[in-house]
Amino acid sequence: MDYLQYVDKDSFLHRLDPRTKFFFFLAMAVLTSVIKSGVALVFLFAFFLAIWIGCGIMPEMGKLFRQLKVLLIFIFLLWFVLGLFEQPPVEGGPIFYEGTVLNMKLCFDWYDFYKGLVYALRIYLMIASFFMVLITTNFSEIILGLCKWHMPYAVSFAVGLVFQIIPIIITELKAIMEAQSSRGLEIEECGVATKIKNYIIFSIPLLFRVIGKGHAISLAMHFYKLNFGVKRTSYKTIKASAYDAWFLLATAFAIAGTIVLRIFFYIPV
Amino acid sequence: MNYRIQHITYQYAPEQKEVLRDVSLEIQKSAVTAVVGPSGCGKTTLVDILSGVIPKLESNGVLQGELELGEDALVSVVSQSPENQLFGYGVEDAIAFGMENMGLPAEEISERMEYVLDLLNLQYLRKRSVAALSGGQRQAVCIASVLAMRPDILIMDEPVSSLDPNGKKMVQNVLNQLRADGTTVLIVDNNLEWSADIVDRVVGLYDGCVLFDGAKEEFFRDFDLQEKLGVTIPQEAEIYRAIAKLNSGVEMFYSMQGAIDALDRIFTQKTFSVEAPKEVVGEAFLTTHQLNKVFADGFQALKEINTAFPKGKVIAIMGQNGSGKTTLVKHLNGLYKPTSGDVRYNGQSILKKTVAQISRNIILVFQHPEHMLFEQTVTQEITFCARMQKLEFTEEQVAEVLEKYGLKDDAETFPINLSMGKKHLLTILSVLFSNADVVILDEPTLGMDLHIKAQLEEIIAYLKQQGKTVLMISHEIPLVFKVADGAVILSGGKKVYEGSKEALSRREDIFDAINISLPPVVQLSKRYGFSKICYNVADFAQEAARLLALREE
Repeated sequence: MDYLQYVDKDSFLHRLDPRTKFFFFLAMAVLTSVIKSGVALVFLFAFFLAIWIGCGIMPEMGKLFRQLKVLLIFIFLLWFVLGLFEQPPVEGGPIFYEGTVLNMKLCFDWYDFYKGLVYALRIYLMIASFFMVLITTNFSEIILGLCKWHMPYAVSFAVGLVFQIIPIIITELKAIMEAQSSRGLEIEECGVATKIKNYIIFSIPLLFRVIGKGHAISLAMHFYKLNFGVKRTSYKTIKASAYDAWFLLATAFAIAGTIVLRIFFYIPV
Repeated sequence: MNYRIQHITYQYAPEQKEVLRDVSLEIQKSAVTAVVGPSGCGKTTLVDILSGVIPKLESNGVLQGELELGEDALVSVVSQSPENQLFGYGVEDAIAFGMENMGLPAEEISERMEYVLDLLNLQYLRKRSVAALSGGQRQAVCIASVLAMRPDILIMDEPVSSLDPNGKKMVQNVLNQLRADGTTVLIVDNNLEWSADIVDRVVGLYDGCVLFDGAKEEFFRDFDLQEKLGVTIPQEAEIYRAIAKLNSGVEMFYSMQGAIDALDRIFTQKTFSVEAPKEVVGEAFLTTHQLNKVFADGFQALKEINTAFPKGKVIAIMGQNGSGKTTLVKHLNGLYKPTSGDVRYNGQSILKKTVAQISRNIILVFQHPEHMLFEQTVTQEITFCARMQKLEFTEEQVAEVLEKYGLKDDAETFPINLSMGKKHLLTILSVLFSNADVVILDEPTLGMDLHIKAQLEEIIAYLKQQGKTVLMISHEIPLVFKVADGAVILSGGKKVYEGSKEALSRREDIFDAINISLPPVVQLSKRYGFSKICYNVADFAQEAARLLALREE
């Protein structure tokens, strides 16, 4: 789970105002929710790809793809199988098998692949847009960005704290797994049932560690006089720059292009 | 006017025992005061009361007495785990956090930020992320973050307990600067080894009561009190204790320079006559061959490491943090697979075995006991390894170990509720019931007071007597030289030394290169041309007595 952490680089995306990146994620979340055209989604994917290459975050995105591949295969297969029970909505294209099996009409054709791929790509793009924000915005910037959007500091701080704590919990879980296996607990060559049992074993020390960390954090909040009822100041400020304008412009073009392609190349799925 | 604590008594619940009883003491302004005492003596409770955690966050207890700290006095705490205390991604974010909470304007925050960064010589860290800092740097940033709030009293809770020698030196420098700056500092730590030169006063707590409140010189003279409180003192102070028994006129010392000044008046400085170093002899049954480790981010942690660990010996693995010590031992028990090279046990490669399979022969005890403890009782925890390895044991054997190491009364206790030192002792004791030939201890003294450290020495000696090999990563150099037969020293992922401690104690060049000091007993026995290099205070005292007797003749 260490792929869920901020990656310290000096890329174009890193230099953007967090609010620009939040807007990008929200726009992409809406777009991938409504666009179901394969051609339009491939265009959007190409736009994402250009950003990843331009910002040097291809290794991280590749890591995300490897982590998501089981989910993506599952989504593809789900819609592929559902597609078997449907006729293609448009004429033409190869049909590999058509007939009745166990009183069910089946049609195995190009459309089944298309439908599976479209749904998998939509989910991937949606997650990737969130991930792009996550790995290029540190939790201090997240808090600043949310505060600038007039989110109460308590909420912004809680969101930022979650992203600060995630790496700590990941490190703790890893250390616990290593410590228990070092004492003889088999976690490598074991069946699914044993693996599940082992995770219960790991969860006990993890729970105590997390409670301990939570206690330490609440003490630290006290030592630093954090009081959500009192107005606090801010040492750093965030300001949109020309980078943000260019990025928003490029995003606007990408959104427009996706919508146009959706209009001209739409196959109902 | 100094800060005063008057007749403080505290119970966590009305029906519970008093954790602090009629505690009265004075914290001198602009001075560094150390609060010492064994686990459970009430040190943490005192910190909680001073910092306002009690009664603001923990309001269920019964608090009596009075704190005379002045109106609106700000008391800030630097905890022993800065990673839990620093809020913010970057160093500047973390330092600004407290000041932002106080509602200070940006200009003032900026001014104070520059002041603390200059004061603590941390300007070079200001653009770094907190996650990328070393332990010592994090602790220093943590101190800077609370100092920027301009506290009236700065409390530091075991600030160097998990730091390497470089980290300790950094915190020592920071404290010296604070002392010169007139900051009132309270160090809560039962280890005075690193702070003896810095502290002005000592407060000793025992069973909730103040047993001592006075100047540090007075404290260092009271040997019985030091032992009763289980305080780890500098080895120089231990040497003074031993020499004072031989020569009552010796001037008191607790630092290396002090020791040289005092002992030069008793002994004559001589060139140490080099004796043939005794090599670590033994069948090398655990070996590494051209071991290389490159992590996914491209960092090469180990470079061409060839080592041969002999049977039945205690071998210390030393080096600064980041030198590759933990990476090396994690290869020995299979947690890490090398990028290239091999690890062999009894001549057979272990690379294809699982960690659990390897643990039957090579067992690793982790630095933080909380990662290992998960059973319901101490008794169950102590037999965990034996049960995992399906080994037989009797209730009598378990009872005997619990009795011997002072855990009999805790047999049915939930292990997490034990003190840090006892938790660590428990994880180490559990290997006594395994049949592993190699026991690896990663920073075993963490959280241990003097009494538990003595028990650890006993366990190591017992394992060695049983023919087992003990590999020990430790930054406690005097302890290492006391118990180890040999050492492997790493620096920047490379092996810079492997051999006996006798040969190592003659290699000042290595210690200079890795920025670690040889133990005082070693340095002083060489300085005064003793007939052998001493590795513990008892041997040093014996040699000193012999020299003094010769001189009298």
